Amino acid sequence: MNPAPFELSMLLAILPEILLVVLAALVLLLNLGVRHRAEGVLGWLTAIGLAVIAVLSAVFARPGDTPQLIFGGMLRLDWVSFSFRLLFLLGAAITVLVSLEHARTITGEYLALLLVSTLGMSLMASSANLIMLYLAIETTSLPLYLLAGYYVENQKSVESGIKYMLYGAVTSAVMLYGFSLLFGLSGTANLAMIPFRLTQTGVSPLLVGGALFLTLVGFGFKVSAAPFHFWAPDVYEGAPTPIAGFLSTASKAAGFAVLVRVLLVTFPQLASFWTLVVAILAALSMIVGNLLALTQRNIKRLLAYSSIAQAGYILVGVAADSPLGVAGMVYYLTSYLVTNLAAFAIVWLVAQQVGSEDLDAFSGLGKRNPAIALAMLISLLSLGGIPPLSGFIGKVLVFAAAVEAGQVALAIIGVLTSVIGLYYYLTVMKILYRPAVDEAPLKPSLSWRTAMLICVVLMLALGVIVAPWYGQSLAAASALF
Amino acid sequence: MSAFQIVFLLIALLTLFSALMVVFARKTIHSAFWLILALFGVAATFATLAASFFVVIQVAVYIGAIAILIIFTVMLTRRSMEESGDQLLPGWGWAALVVLIVFGGLVFMLLQWQGIFQPPQVLTAGGENLENLGMALVMPDRYVIPFEVASVLLVAAMIGAIYVAGDHKKRS
Amino acid sequence: MVPASYYLILSVVLFVLGALGVLLRRNALVVFMSLEMMFNASNLAFITFARMYNALSAQVVVFFVMTVAAAEVAIGLALMVEIFRSKRSVDIDQMNTLKG
Repeated sequence: MNPAPFELSMLLAILPEILLVVLAALVLLLNLGVRHRAEGVLGWLTAIGLAVIAVLSAVFARPGDTPQLIFGGMLRLDWVSFSFRLLFLLGAAITVLVSLEHARTITGEYLALLLVSTLGMSLMASSANLIMLYLAIETTSLPLYLLAGYYVENQKSVESGIKYMLYGAVTSAVMLYGFSLLFGLSGTANLAMIPFRLTQTGVSPLLVGGALFLTLVGFGFKVSAAPFHFWAPDVYEGAPTPIAGFLSTASKAAGFAVLVRVLLVTFPQLASFWTLVVAILAALSMIVGNLLALTQRNIKRLLAYSSIAQAGYILVGVAADSPLGVAGMVYYLTSYLVTNLAAFAIVWLVAQQVGSEDLDAFSGLGKRNPAIALAMLISLLSLGGIPPLSGFIGKVLVFAAAVEAGQVALAIIGVLTSVIGLYYYLTVMKILYRPAVDEAPLKPSLSWRTAMLICVVLMLALGVIVAPWYGQSLAAASALF
Repeated sequence: MSAFQIVFLLIALLTLFSALMVVFARKTIHSAFWLILALFGVAATFATLAASFFVVIQVAVYIGAIAILIIFTVMLTRRSMEESGDQLLPGWGWAALVVLIVFGGLVFMLLQWQGIFQPPQVLTAGGENLENLGMALVMPDRYVIPFEVASVLLVAAMIGAIYVAGDHKKRS
Repeated sequence: MVPASYYLILSVVLFVLGALGVLLRRNALVVFMSLEMMFNASNLAFITFARMYNALSAQVVVFFVMTVAAAEVAIGLALMVEIFRSKRSVDIDQMNTLKG
């Protein structure tokens, strides 16, 4: 497939990205005057702007029947990029609404960095060229390093920013070296062209496998799969909580979008090799994540290890190397996005009032605000994969894909570790309804309640009405096969 | 051995020796100065590859901006480390082992690769095409999207860096 | 002329030395310098391939890698100056407010 020559209508395909830049610039400009007079106005503007962009991208940036390479083959307009872009916009909007709870995090800089990072994710999902891919990954990561260290007065936050940046830069250097070998072996940067060139020149699969391995280090870091997970607990603990939520959901989803695109489009000949590697990563992540989560006393660290385990379940879908697996991955990521963002939002609200992120800080939540306790209960159950919540459907899809692909062992590990996962989710639930000394009622702001409502409704809806988004996920999957 | 090869080997030795000193110099500021030399070495290898434009930007960006910025930071964070104590992380033995395996793996890979042992093709007249590069960066059918994204990224990074390193007492 | 293999071996050794610095040193600034060497190793490989295939796209990658490196250094050093203000140290081993 050759890239289509440039025409003005192509600008419509990147309209969401253009609007994200415009919105970021607008927020920065307004930051000069508006913020001090009207608290929160910038945040609402950003959230509403993101919603408008989502609607516009659903209307104008729809891919056609056949995927199209645009802008000289830099971007690929297909259902993968379309679905993931909606996911990122949703994640960013929820994160902004949750951040509004605290005036400290809604300066123009914070919002602009968040928007630029969302722009990078959106480009990651649609990159069709090594150059574009590298730049998109860095555009996502660099603002996130800053956001993790955003509470400059808080030593923990700055430390988490530095750690995230150092680990991120090291893995991206390794990944870039992989890219350079890949380029050297094939002589092209076009992801779809690489397999053809490799067959033409007849390079030994060993060499290609080595280059693939180096790039997998970078992708493994982005999705925080074991053994590239070590950064996640430290970074999530120190980073501002809404950012930790954003990192664990949208940023992870972007990593998965890149992972499937590169593996399926660029390395179809090496499928037997990479399915094995991904399966090992999946098994390791499920086991390590769930076992280490058992010992955590800090809720953010617990959620970090749980998110590593969730990455493992999602990788099961990738390892299946089938349309069902990829569709399951997209569905799982969507459900996980709303679920985990809700959990982190509640953690933030409670931790701010109680002043502690220990599990015990959550005791008595059932008395202090029954609605919030219920929302926490629902999100924990959804993370644990209990029907009729969205997490259940996601798990069923990826495990079914594993069985269909003949990887029964992986599915069994998945089910067994899910049981362990359920155990620590239940421990947290028990604490929610334990009596506590301090039973002052919790009163979240309007923006926080809006975000929570969106999350809970989507968690329930995705668990009950499967067909529409599953159809969308299948469409995304078929664009890659 | 031709004269060209000797020149290359000298540059390579200089680069690698400086790189080694960056890693093992005791004082941070010495590491920084060795880094400049290593970056110069890389610039010189670019010159032997007929990429003169990249020689210039290697010197301008890496040495002129990045290395100087690092030196400023070293001076700003002076006495930040005990320079007499142990400079290595605990568990460095394992790290060295990992690095050795990576090195062995990469060299083994390169030796399998037939294409790289051929002498390079002779460049056609004009050789390096700076004008093409410049045009490619701004043509919609080539690299305009990455070019614009890179500019957005740079602006965002500057804003964020100024925010983080700025004066916080004044702000609150 | 020198075949590409010479350059690639140089690039591999530079990459590995950078990795060594990243994994061994305690000083975050030296880690940072080692990182720059790893990126330089990739750049060297890309320029070699640009010569080998006479390909413009490899040069374009180097152009962007340098841009990103500049942005990354600005961010990293800003964070390091900030941690130094509160901790008086840039020792990675001492960054243990986050247990783990």
